[in-house]
Amino acid sequence: MSNRTLPRLLQTPAVLLLLIWMLIPLSMTLYFSFIRYVLNSLRRPEWTKPSISNWRGFGNYEFVLNNKDFILAIQNSLLIVCSILFFTVIFGILIAVLINKSFPGRGVVRVLLISPFFVMPAVNAVLWINMILDPVLGLQGLAVGGLNDAIEGLRNAPLVGGFFSLWPDFAPISFRATQTSAIAVIIMVTWQWTPFAVLIFMTSLQSEDQQQKEAAILDGAGAWSQFRFLTLPHLSRPIAIVVMIQAIFHLSLYAEIEIVSRGNGNKNLPYLIGEFANNNIGAASATGIFAVILANIVAFFLLRMIGKTLME
Amino acid sequence: MAIVAHHSRFSKIAWPVLAWIVALLFFFPIFWMLLTSFKTDADAVKPEHLLFFTPTLENYANMTENYDYWRFATNSVIASVMATAVTLFVGIPSAYAMAFNPSRSTKDMLMWMLSTKMLPAAGVLYPMTFLTKNILGIFDTHFLIILVLSLINLPIVIWMLFTYFKEIPRDIIEAGKMDGVSTWGEIREILIPLAWGGIASTALLCFIFCWNEAYWTVRLTTTDAATLSKLIEGNRAPEGLFFGRLSAVSTAAVGPIVVLGWFCQKQLVQGLTFGAVK
Repeated sequence: MSNRTLPRLLQTPAVLLLLIWMLIPLSMTLYFSFIRYVLNSLRRPEWTKPSISNWRGFGNYEFVLNNKDFILAIQNSLLIVCSILFFTVIFGILIAVLINKSFPGRGVVRVLLISPFFVMPAVNAVLWINMILDPVLGLQGLAVGGLNDAIEGLRNAPLVGGFFSLWPDFAPISFRATQTSAIAVIIMVTWQWTPFAVLIFMTSLQSEDQQQKEAAILDGAGAWSQFRFLTLPHLSRPIAIVVMIQAIFHLSLYAEIEIVSRGNGNKNLPYLIGEFANNNIGAASATGIFAVILANIVAFFLLRMIGKTLME
Repeated sequence: MAIVAHHSRFSKIAWPVLAWIVALLFFFPIFWMLLTSFKTDADAVKPEHLLFFTPTLENYANMTENYDYWRFATNSVIASVMATAVTLFVGIPSAYAMAFNPSRSTKDMLMWMLSTKMLPAAGVLYPMTFLTKNILGIFDTHFLIILVLSLINLPIVIWMLFTYFKEIPRDIIEAGKMDGVSTWGEIREILIPLAWGGIASTALLCFIFCWNEAYWTVRLTTTDAATLSKLIEGNRAPEGLFFGRLSAVSTAAVGPIVVLGWFCQKQLVQGLTFGAVK
């Protein structure tokens, strides 16, 4: 066998598998997005077959764009993704800087910090929404209850009682409600992904130029200006990468949304697709194409950045 | 570190203390789940038993009865182990070819493989259901879950293996060629022993990703091939007071993986950032 055909042959299974995986389902989605296709219809039984005669052009796209839920899902997706990105990057930088220098037990601290990242998403959601955030039985409920009891006790105390009797009873927050369930998702995903940001930033900080830093100290640079003008620029690339990778992952958040609220007023794009897919396949597919486009915009920049370091 | 460049006595103590507090805060939810798993369902929601209670193992003993835990766990093990094996079996030759016989298209090939990873799963949800249910008839089978898990992890695995293989001096492989070793022999007798550490950590990471996957394993299974993700998702809202047993089953589902995860922190950076952060 010649020098050239063998490497190609070895790559063939992987390439073929990925090609099939990518092309077939995606082209089906594309096709379904242009036809009328529903799973159950008593009135129009002909629509229950994915036939070309049900061609609808851009009708599904129009339907989806005019759907109130779609706009809400886009808004909600962006709210959730952007909030998570904001908090994970800020916390990630702070914690990475905090544990960059060696101190007693640093290894254990690292292990404790990284642990949330390995918790499966379903367990993460069930744990937070039930045992921690639940307004009655969770730690939140117990904490608020305890606080109210303490205030109640203080009302009868001499001297300060008058002051505390002015205080209202605190009400726990229900995180399953429409307005708050997105916040619950943001909290639990931030908890899970901050360790990821910490890990990346920590790795990057290890390669920071120490001589430059020493020179800056000799020149009398303060801690803040060292951070602002040396560390932060050094982290700019890792920050960009953390932002893009997370954006791709979080645009397809599913388990957390499903578990926290069953999408009750807190839909994101994947959840909405799942909901459409219960009957209206045309609309589900059109929404799917929108999701693919959205992810591709982010992926384009990420891939360009990875490509630069590829052959070094 | 910049901010503690001045070695005041205060910062020498305050810094580690702060780091420890942050680490314990992050670990707290996991600790809480573990602690609750040793409480009875009744104790778990009583404020007076928040920290002081009589520990019991009954939640673990009743996992089979309450949740049919072992069936789901077995499915998770089968799916994750097999998918990891398949991924490595397909990925090693491919990464080998790209690392030792790179051509002009190798870079584009790798980038294209990564780009498949970035497709949102939800975008192809219905076609996957349709294909597997109506056409291929493999919906809710181990075969399907293994296949899907292999496919979604293949790009990352090839990528990681590629970066490990690149570090191996080419001369060693060339020397093997001179001695007339076949390609398969080269992979088996020279490459795999040399890159053993890299392959092992790649496999570990792939296993973890398979175990935690929660979209396809939930949407493409009902009972036969359902994994632990599906089990937990199905018990999302414990009716009434089941925190004890729910904690036990959750701890059993994530415990082993969290411990495995501790051993592959470094590979995680490389695997998830595709080598773009060093």
